[in-house]
Amino acid sequence: MITKDDVLYIADIAMLKFPEEEIDMFTEKFAQVIGFVDTIKEVNTEDVEPTFMVSDEAGELKDYEENETLLREEVLQNTVEQQYGYFKIIKVVE
Amino acid sequence: MDITSLKAWEMKEKLLNKEISSKDIVEAHIKRIEEIEPNINAFITLNKEEALKAADAVDKKLRNNENVGVLAGVPIGIKDNIVTKGMRTTCASKMLENFIPPYDATVIEKIKKSDGIIIGKTNMDEFAMGGSTETSYFGTTKNPVDPSRVPGGSSGGSAAAVCSNEVPLALGTDTGGSVRQPASYCGVVGLKPTYGMISRYGVVSMANTLDQVGVFGRDVKDAVLMLNAIAGHDRRDSTSSRRSNSGVFIGDDDNESINLLEGLKVALPKEYAEMGVSNKKIQVLFDEAVKVFERQGAKIDFVSIPHLKYALETYYIIMTSEVSSNLARFDGIRYGHRAEDYKTLDELYTNSRTEGFGEEVKRRIMIGTYSLSAGYAEEHYKKALKVRTLIKQDYDNAFIDHDIILSLTSTMLPFEFNSIINDPVEMYKSDLYTVPINIAGLCSMSIPMGKVDGLPVGLQITGDRFMEKNIIKAALGYERAVL
Amino acid sequence: MGYKTIVGLEIHVELATKHKVFCNCANEYGAEANTLVCPVCLGLPGALPVLDKEALEFGIKAGIAFNSKISNLVRMDRKNYFYPDLVKGYQISQADLPLCDGGYVEIELEEETKKINLERIHIEEDTGKQLHTDESSTLLDFNRCGVPLIEIVTKPDMSSAEEARLFLDKLRATLKYIGVSNVKMEEGSLRCDVNINVVNMESGKKSNISEIKNLNSFKGVVKAIEFEEKRHITLLEEGNNTERETRRWDESKGETILMRRKFGAADYRFAFDGDIPPVSLTEEEIDRIRESLPELPHDKKDRFIKEYELSSYDAGVLTQTKELASLFEDTVKYINDSKLVSNWIMGDVLRRLKDDELEIEDLKISSKDLADLLKLVKDGRINNNTGKKVLKEMFDTGKAPEVIVKEQGLIQISDEGELLSLIEKILDENEQSIIDYKNGKDRALGFLVGQIMKASKGKANPQLANKMLVEMINKR
Repeated sequence: MITKDDVLYIADIAMLKFPEEEIDMFTEKFAQVIGFVDTIKEVNTEDVEPTFMVSDEAGELKDYEENETLLREEVLQNTVEQQYGYFKIIKVVE
Repeated sequence: MDITSLKAWEMKEKLLNKEISSKDIVEAHIKRIEEIEPNINAFITLNKEEALKAADAVDKKLRNNENVGVLAGVPIGIKDNIVTKGMRTTCASKMLENFIPPYDATVIEKIKKSDGIIIGKTNMDEFAMGGSTETSYFGTTKNPVDPSRVPGGSSGGSAAAVCSNEVPLALGTDTGGSVRQPASYCGVVGLKPTYGMISRYGVVSMANTLDQVGVFGRDVKDAVLMLNAIAGHDRRDSTSSRRSNSGVFIGDDDNESINLLEGLKVALPKEYAEMGVSNKKIQVLFDEAVKVFERQGAKIDFVSIPHLKYALETYYIIMTSEVSSNLARFDGIRYGHRAEDYKTLDELYTNSRTEGFGEEVKRRIMIGTYSLSAGYAEEHYKKALKVRTLIKQDYDNAFIDHDIILSLTSTMLPFEFNSIINDPVEMYKSDLYTVPINIAGLCSMSIPMGKVDGLPVGLQITGDRFMEKNIIKAALGYERAVL
Repeated sequence: MGYKTIVGLEIHVELATKHKVFCNCANEYGAEANTLVCPVCLGLPGALPVLDKEALEFGIKAGIAFNSKISNLVRMDRKNYFYPDLVKGYQISQADLPLCDGGYVEIELEEETKKINLERIHIEEDTGKQLHTDESSTLLDFNRCGVPLIEIVTKPDMSSAEEARLFLDKLRATLKYIGVSNVKMEEGSLRCDVNINVVNMESGKKSNISEIKNLNSFKGVVKAIEFEEKRHITLLEEGNNTERETRRWDESKGETILMRRKFGAADYRFAFDGDIPPVSLTEEEIDRIRESLPELPHDKKDRFIKEYELSSYDAGVLTQTKELASLFEDTVKYINDSKLVSNWIMGDVLRRLKDDELEIEDLKISSKDLADLLKLVKDGRINNNTGKKVLKEMFDTGKAPEVIVKEQGLIQISDEGELLSLIEKILDENEQSIIDYKNGKDRALGFLVGQIMKASKGKANPQLANKMLVEMINKR
């Protein structure tokens, strides 16, 4: 059963936040959906290989010269804050 | 002559015959858009000036007797999750409200090379998550057939724009039915090619092993024209297939005297027949469509897709897992919405994402994060990948003896605004006819098969991977038979 | 003290490919910030990765050089976490199917050759760089994003800082040998994390593992291990234990500091990356890459032992870098005396490199010049000590030995007539020493030789001077 703590943990690693008053309702909806997808457990998948992707073509490797390197203005054009050609954010504490 | 009511292929013919200019075509469409956009809201961003410039360029080429591309002069709407250099690309989200991509998606490059005219970016459910275009940050799109109803989704803007003659052609994306279902709701043709047929480079990922670019047109021939222009292997997308270079999908089929349905081997999944359709009028329409195929000499047969009943669960786990990872890049640092209020790095992330994403997006990220998290990945994500194998095998088996599978595109009629969206599980169930096709990576299209209570209903024609020619043949054959 | 130290290393090595691992931006160090990025390595919406051929080959080369089993299927996974230097919210890496499985590196201890086993080697993409400028902000440069990395994970097989250093030396030398990386720690192309704990040999009590990050020199690795060893033992002695935690090495303070950023609690949600279809590798393809490798250090070492009759230790040292091995082999070609060459390289050349803090590549001396110097010594034209002085001059100026010898008049005095008058003069001035020597005080002879060398400014042929001195004293 999904608990409020589960929801808070998942929100934490997904970097999302829900208002305190909505958590209970969200937990309920969340549990409803998890309950729905949980029926997949009843399928017998013994000896079945996973399908990561539908294509059975082998992957190709990159082996050419052209590049699409951007101009610095283009690189920075969508950020909120920049300085000296860098992206600027709040001090990161290691 | 009302240029906007012409099919794309008709516009192109008149253009090449110099009956009309590219500028005439673009101006007529801009006028049409200006007239009805306030009522429809199919577009998020319009590209009028650039479109007129591009039209001038085409006209100049024609004046100089230069060769022009296959989409010469044709106005095209682009779903707003396909990046366009210098033109805002929002994914209908507050997160990307001001995002100006510095590059073009491969499909955009191809359209430009084919002399197509990009007229604007169409509305959609936020990050392509939804089936009604109601989750857009930029307001809902109205169904042109009945403006009190949704156009379907997530590519609702593209479907509505084609339906209302704002453009003859549009691009959408289809992860679980997002091209076919709105095509059904708006009464247009929507084609989702085989996974790997069209490059995804520059298409904002929702669920990257399910996503595929799809095309909208007002008839099959138009949809195929669009498909031919953008299909093909792309070295920048490893998942695009070498097999997609097979090229032209219409050849002799264009000859209207040929009966394309003669001898076609058609399968009907018996699971759908057993499930039934609650709206009996829809069922009647489908039964009549099957009879059309039969009368034209197709061989109809029931097949079983035993794992179909787990398709929604499988889809939902895989889709949300991929969503949770694909949408992790939206953190407010390099692009996208950054919250104004934060005191720590974690708050910068959390507040930006919480403010930037809408409810449905957050819900899916949460479910996907849960499905991939330690302790649950085995029973959810990995299990779903195995069931995916079983579903794919079911379809492989069905296509051993059949060319196409026929079904409804949706069991529902376009619904009124706010009527279903509060019930997520019911909403997902409506996808049961479309999502298995993405799970197995098949090609599939929805074509109009009539109306119920004045509302369009779509017929879904599905083919095996890279067997687009079969579904196109069937769709053309059906279209000719009923027109 | 009765404690054993247990050290395992995780080494990140930037591969020196032409292009980045998933896009075709140039893989270069030192460009202006954010000028080597494209939609792919900046993680822009819609951009897709394509695996670089050369990066894969370099990874395979490393695996072969370290005796790993190369996987026949290359599958890339996503490691999901948030950090400002990570552009997509996930790093493309490899989880349960690494490119290379197992393997080992041999290190030369004084008594034995020790095998340090590897857990795995996998391919992944590098992240961007953070610049902490002032109190309130961090600047981000994404040029390094998408530079190909291999992560080499060892088993906890090292039991001292010295073993870790020897391992890293060998690892670095090998990677350089096979040409897959520049392995410059100061440029961050080789980075090392240390996992360390200690065990009390009597009670069996173990400390909890500390992970040490941010080590940017081999010296730092050694110092951090030594620091942690003491910290762990002290805590156990006090009846406490270490926390299982991530710390970083603070070079200026000479200590490890607990990192505030959490690593241990992370839930990386590894999942297959559906943007990159798995690549299959046949044994033929792997063999083709194997054949393209140059002679590996351990093969070269065996050859040196056989071909040049060197000791295992000497051969091990001389084959540590390609450049050192070439210097040795090329010098031997000019002067067919492998023992003499190895003595000089192992002794003065390496000592001087270390004193001057130079890498072998920085050496100004050619093998021809070194051989010429050794010929001067071997032929007795200069003595050993003068030879060392000339070598120093060669290090400093890069001049040829003959030039130095000529300029400074260093040719040894082997002329008996010249030595005779010199010795006569010294004997006349030191009659007491002659008496002492004749009374059995051998030290007196040493004193007299010293006076002769001093008077000749070191140029007297010592063997000849010694012989003549004894003869001349006995005649008096």
